Amino acid sequence: MSNGPNTLTMIAAIVAKDVRQRLRDGSLLVFGLLLPLGVAFFFNMLLGDDTSRQTGSEYVVVDSDAGSLGQEFVDAALRPLADDGVLELTTADTEDEARALVEDGGVDAAFLVPEDFTESLENGDDAVLTVVGDADAPVATHIAREIGRAFATEHLRIRLAVASGFDSEPSPEDAALLLEEAEAAEAPLVLSEDADLEWRELGNATYYSASMAFFFVFFAAMFSVTSIFDEKAGGTLARLLASPIPRGAILIAKLTSGLVIGLANMAVLAVATSVFFGADWGDPLGAGALILTGVTAVIGLTAAVASFARSSEQAANWLSVLAMLLGVFGGALFPISQLNGLAIVSYLTPHRWFLLGLGELSAGGLDVVLLPCAVLLALGLVGTTVALFRMGRMVNA
Amino acid sequence: MPILEVRGVSKRYGKNQAVDDVSFFIEEGETYGLLGPNGAGKSTTIGMITGILERDSGSITVDGIEHSVTNRKSKSLIGFVPQELALYHDLSARDNLRFFARLYGLSKSEARTKTEEVLETVGLSDRAGEAVSQFSGGMARRLNIGLGLLNSPRLLILDEPTVGVDPQSRNSILESVHTLTRGGVSVLYTTHYMEEAERLCDRVGIIEAGKIRAEGTQRELVSQVGEDDTVLITLDAPGERVLDVLRALEPIDEVSSEGTQVRLLTSNARDALPLILDTLTRAGAGIRSVEVQEPDLEAVFLSLTGKGLRE
Amino acid sequence: MKPLIIGVLNLRRVFRDRTNIFFVLLLPFLMVFMMGLMYGGGQPVLAVSSPSQAGLADRLVDALEEDERIDVLHMDEGEMRDLVEGGDVQAGLVIPDDYEDRIRDGERAELELVTRSDDLAAADVGIWVRSVVTRESSLLSTAQVTGSVRDDGFDERLENASETEVSGIEVEVTTSGDATFPEGLSSHSLAAPPLLLLYTFITALTTSLGIVQARRSGVLRRMYASPTSAGSIVLGEALGRFLIALTQALLILFGSALMFGVDWGDLPATSLVVTAFCLVSSGASLLLGSLARTEGGALAAAVGISLGAGALGGTMLPLESFDETMTTIAFLTPHAWGYDAFSELIRNQATLTDVLPHIGVLLGYAAVLLTLGVWRFRGAVTA
Repeated sequence: MSNGPNTLTMIAAIVAKDVRQRLRDGSLLVFGLLLPLGVAFFFNMLLGDDTSRQTGSEYVVVDSDAGSLGQEFVDAALRPLADDGVLELTTADTEDEARALVEDGGVDAAFLVPEDFTESLENGDDAVLTVVGDADAPVATHIAREIGRAFATEHLRIRLAVASGFDSEPSPEDAALLLEEAEAAEAPLVLSEDADLEWRELGNATYYSASMAFFFVFFAAMFSVTSIFDEKAGGTLARLLASPIPRGAILIAKLTSGLVIGLANMAVLAVATSVFFGADWGDPLGAGALILTGVTAVIGLTAAVASFARSSEQAANWLSVLAMLLGVFGGALFPISQLNGLAIVSYLTPHRWFLLGLGELSAGGLDVVLLPCAVLLALGLVGTTVALFRMGRMVNA
Repeated sequence: MPILEVRGVSKRYGKNQAVDDVSFFIEEGETYGLLGPNGAGKSTTIGMITGILERDSGSITVDGIEHSVTNRKSKSLIGFVPQELALYHDLSARDNLRFFARLYGLSKSEARTKTEEVLETVGLSDRAGEAVSQFSGGMARRLNIGLGLLNSPRLLILDEPTVGVDPQSRNSILESVHTLTRGGVSVLYTTHYMEEAERLCDRVGIIEAGKIRAEGTQRELVSQVGEDDTVLITLDAPGERVLDVLRALEPIDEVSSEGTQVRLLTSNARDALPLILDTLTRAGAGIRSVEVQEPDLEAVFLSLTGKGLRE
Repeated sequence: MKPLIIGVLNLRRVFRDRTNIFFVLLLPFLMVFMMGLMYGGGQPVLAVSSPSQAGLADRLVDALEEDERIDVLHMDEGEMRDLVEGGDVQAGLVIPDDYEDRIRDGERAELELVTRSDDLAAADVGIWVRSVVTRESSLLSTAQVTGSVRDDGFDERLENASETEVSGIEVEVTTSGDATFPEGLSSHSLAAPPLLLLYTFITALTTSLGIVQARRSGVLRRMYASPTSAGSIVLGEALGRFLIALTQALLILFGSALMFGVDWGDLPATSLVVTAFCLVSSGASLLLGSLARTEGGALAAAVGISLGAGALGGTMLPLESFDETMTTIAFLTPHAWGYDAFSELIRNQATLTDVLPHIGVLLGYAAVLLTLGVWRFRGAVTA
């Protein structure tokens, strides 16, 4: 005996109908495409695609020194840093010119070497190196001061050795001996650089494309899941129940609609943001796995929360709040560093795992997405189980 | 074998016994009216028969198959027209029909053919592509019924299909139900409009407070309250003399009085009324009002429950 | 009483619409977050992995920590490398376990600076570390060298070197210009006020749709058919817009204060600025609702006008970044006056008297818009 019509066909019919409804009411277009693209574009425009918000600081130096010390400062202290590419250095002829550059924000700070720089030092007076910093660039200004101080200390090291070596005026022989020793001494600290660490971080374009896409999947999925309340209020749920379709299949169909819509959204956004904003979602296979499990998590959570609501409005209100909170705490709106106090809380959100997975993926290797995918899948399954468990209440009056 | 057999079905919500030991059956090709005021248990009964609600006890068989919320075979035999306009208002009439056709297991091509057929039946072929939200109330009602016909049901259940419908649409709905029943479909029809039940139904069950109070053809039910018409006359001062005069009249079978109201039973009130009024005038009794009640389901209901259907 | 009933009904209608919950409640906070992020910048962070026992390494770390503008965190090397890779810290510094011994023995110790390849964000921290290391190196060298002439221990020699002053090069630091955004002011405090203006105006203007709907659907005629005077209806609808605008403004005001700790400054003055701006918004909304013929037209105009005026008035990009001509134009919008008033109140701790001119101008706008709006709307009611 045939057990009535094929359940899968029926689920497919409900999914097709739901997708059509979401297309008709525009929620798919607005929440699935326009808003995430718009917001990602806005972020992209504001922040640019540099992972760093700062570039290397820019300095200007004015060497008015009549003697040689100024030149030494430029050559020994500043030039190597500029050659390494960690700062940008320009020279100016006059102090006014340099100050003007700082004033209009062209550079972050100016080093002003005075005319009597060498002379003062030779006369036993204090030579003054002036740093003029932009009030809007406090870090760069501070670093400029430290560069100056480092030069000063190193330059004075030998004199310091003599000065601190003896409690009283030393004999010229002793002093000469110590001077020689000090000059010959190697610097006790050497700094080697290991600048080859991998980037396990998403660029801004990718981060905000992915986070916005994921953030708005909640809203796209929300309409699918809450539509069960609309069907109840509109009476069509009674029709569905009267038709020869298993009860569980109705909820499964609703969740599947959400999943289909969410996946379609994410896929379209991944392609669109890659093409338009230069986002890099990484290995398609890994990104695909993250998207699939990520959307599953969203649908599961959405369904679980909705299953406690009484009406479509209530469900939508709760879910909006949930989407917002998870977005904020999960780092969808601004990146949450592991150092942040929110970091622990953030691991409770699917957003964090999704973005973490993409970040890990950016450094290569497919196995890195296994843990995030597993967590996301687990979230989805738990949520779905809760929803299925409470389905009777959602479906019945 | 009856197409539907309901035996001792009960349903309780908390302390409220919504349906209490209800039994009835519908023969193949029969139109059965379930009559009762709002809150009498009609919708709960319908819910159990359509397989939307679980029942607490009792049995329901459809075409001999034991029916339940999970029995897809028996559900496939039933067409359901809910009281609400259970439609997707943002989709077109055609989308609505095709969708539910698929849910009843029709293949894609079958669904397409059946959809056009139903559109024709309910007279919406020329508006089939429009969103239902653009429809007038009557059109939406027709589509609501059309959705119940998609699976060519053996038993069509119509739950108050004419609520809030203008007289013209109502007429056309009753017409189309009539056409269906002539085509051999069995119908379970709930309403609280007496004249609809009288016009459509072969047999009627009267439900009140969760119980079937009476059941039978209209004739059978009416005979329970007697064949006579009732004339109620309110007089200024009904003396024993006036009552005697009335008793003496030949078409009048019985006279009784209560307060200022006099109750007369007669086989044909229309014919007797001029004589009655003439006699009373001559007797000098001041007539305040006259009311004639012909025996109908309303009267049956009134006599069974002591209240009107629309209270 | 009747105007109030009409006004409150308008307010309730806004929150009946599900999508409004998102746009009125959630979006502004999302934007405050985003703008706060944009202004925020964030401090550079250096992770240090140093030997567990206290000693010479601590001196170096203390020197690195001396400035608050660079955060220094302590952790083991593995974690440090993870954080650098993930971009959570810009650079890591490894101080070797034998640091103490080698330096005391007069040998050299090798420190390692860890960064990602081509990471510009690491540049500042890199220079900072190099400079501090260079300085410390000079002092340590001095302590090592003077060992040959002094009998006291290494620590005393080092202390002596640190404390000895030789006339030499002094570094003087001055800063130039006013900081646009004073230090210590939370970046959200900069983001919230312009967004309050932007959203209050948008929300108020989009409710002009309600007026158009009421006009077209005949609800307005039905109201007028009831024993309610045209004056009451006009007043009620105007009050409705005002309540909606005020609700939006207060949501952002208190929301940003609670969630992001924005200090809105002098309360009476801020209240008056907000109230005046809400009056302006409701006047504009009433006028637009009376003029627009269709809902679609009203919506398009509402979005266009509110975004346009918002951008022009400095609520999207800071007014400070405008050139002179643009600034002059900006102050034709009520937004710029609101922006300037909030700037005074929040950044400069101004009081009511300081922002009285702003409030005056805003009330002027409100008077003109409300008068025009009432006049046109009354025409629509009685027509």
